[in-house]
Amino acid sequence: MPWSESPAELACARGERPEIVASPLGDLIGILTPPAPGAAPNGRAVILLTRPRSHRNRMWVEGARRLALSGHHAFRFDYHGCGDSGGDSAYLDPNQPYRGDVVAAIRHLRATHGLGRFVVFGSCFDARTALSAFADEGDALDGLVFVAAPVVELADMTLVRADHRDWKGLGGTLRNPENWRALASPARWAYMAKMVARMARRSALGPEATPELPLSRSFREHFQALVRSRARALFLYGRDDDEYRSFHVAERTLFPKLSAADRARFEIEVWPGHVHGFLEMTRQRETFQRVLAWIEALPA
Amino acid sequence: MRGFRLRSRAPSSGKPEPGPSRASPHVPATVQTPETPRFFTPREHPLYGVLHAPAAPVRDLVVVHVHGLGVEQITTYRAEVLCARAVASAGVPVFRYHARGHGDSTGDFSGVTLDTLAEDAGHAADEARRLSGAARVVWLGVRFGALAAARAAAARADSAGLVLWEPVHRGAEYFRGMLRAMLYSQVAAGHKPDRSVDQLLDEVESAGQVDVHGYYLHRAIVRSTREATLSGTLGTWSGPTLLAQLQGRSQLAAPHEALLAELRGRNSPVASFLHREDLGWHYTQNPAWECPPLVQATREWIDALE
Repeated sequence: MPWSESPAELACARGERPEIVASPLGDLIGILTPPAPGAAPNGRAVILLTRPRSHRNRMWVEGARRLALSGHHAFRFDYHGCGDSGGDSAYLDPNQPYRGDVVAAIRHLRATHGLGRFVVFGSCFDARTALSAFADEGDALDGLVFVAAPVVELADMTLVRADHRDWKGLGGTLRNPENWRALASPARWAYMAKMVARMARRSALGPEATPELPLSRSFREHFQALVRSRARALFLYGRDDDEYRSFHVAERTLFPKLSAADRARFEIEVWPGHVHGFLEMTRQRETFQRVLAWIEALPA
Repeated sequence: MRGFRLRSRAPSSGKPEPGPSRASPHVPATVQTPETPRFFTPREHPLYGVLHAPAAPVRDLVVVHVHGLGVEQITTYRAEVLCARAVASAGVPVFRYHARGHGDSTGDFSGVTLDTLAEDAGHAADEARRLSGAARVVWLGVRFGALAAARAAAARADSAGLVLWEPVHRGAEYFRGMLRAMLYSQVAAGHKPDRSVDQLLDEVESAGQVDVHGYYLHRAIVRSTREATLSGTLGTWSGPTLLAQLQGRSQLAAPHEALLAELRGRNSPVASFLHREDLGWHYTQNPAWECPPLVQATREWIDALE
């Protein structure tokens, strides 16, 4: 069902205020939602990392107001070069997250509002940015919600897709005239050549002879910072997400090396179908509800 | 009203000052004009807005942006911000806002109609004039926002100009096109659509909404624009008008040309600008869509207004 703003959520909205966060690459504009009138503040601020800050269907505007009802502060902001913020835009590569922006937001909320404990949330690029905050502010972070983000270099995402395709599927792709038109682009030719070469190798030598794809350096670095912290984390993917296929590499190679105590802090949920993109309303609402429920259930 | 004024790149002074006049030092990295994000409350529900103030106002004008509907509010957002900065840097203040049910404002998207959009546009113009001190309003309507801007412009004596970015001419056609594009995207992804456009519109009427790319298309907005046309709304408008076409074609599209012909017939000073680009209006881009030629054309046209 569509979001219908409740009187309590409207009261939360009345308390919202714009904030300016100084950051090295441009000042950031955000909205702080304080705990709802009558809700006992729990001392925790949830930073919702999205683009733009309301996100598709305003889901994180609703999210901020819902979290305020359970005593959280919530902060959503535009990265530099995005939305209302200053700075110049650039292609957003998940392997080069906007760590400076999220760290600036945390430090601003600490210095300006006295907030000391934080939870970070993001999907795709924003999830990688949320994770990157642990490199600088791990001690202040209680939780991470990490939704449907790639964790290998973008160039290797082509190979991730190749590992999950078969020749019949490729044949179907080539029956679509749009895909032939796309081959006018040299970049598309390179993409197809890489994919077909990887598929051919798997066919000829078997999956066991196909080398494991490397996790991106920045993901490994930021993941280790998460492990060093005491934060809990939820990793949420759809089984059919290409991004999950990359995360599966981490499931096979990183998570088994964790101590039992560290591993117990991290939950991995893989849902049928897709989670990435929020382009379908039923799944969008399921994801939204799960994220909020997980944050609200975090131990004090 | 909650807000503060942004001025220089001096370090933050720490805790914000209380009250509506509290200030926070700020200058956007790319354009050196003060910007003031704020909430204003024209009725019981707060709306979010940003005033882009020129360093030194040179005109008795303020530009009011009227954004597109639903997802289109966010697909053109960054281009609008950059346009506002460019116009403000030329000495004309600009006010951007989020209509109810959009962005950071309050209100339900399910209750948005052409009437509420036009009403919020009027409230925004009042706020823009109050904040800037300007007496005359130039409207910038983007896509569906053109219908709301046109209605607001035609109803007010202080309207001094109208900029239309790829305007929607007919509400009913707009929604049919939106649903057709969604079905086409399903085909492109290898899925056979299970409903036609007419069936989807029937579902909007019977169920109240349908899912279009993670947004609901609601009955209230569809009903409210069933008979709405840009030409009809501008039936008495004869002010200066700039129409910017954002399409892949090199000639003005027929509905755009017809509107301009009507306006010329009323001795309205009209201009057009063509930018050849096919945009996926329902998809955000990486990085967000920016259009320097459109910004430049808009700024130059406003600069030349008498």
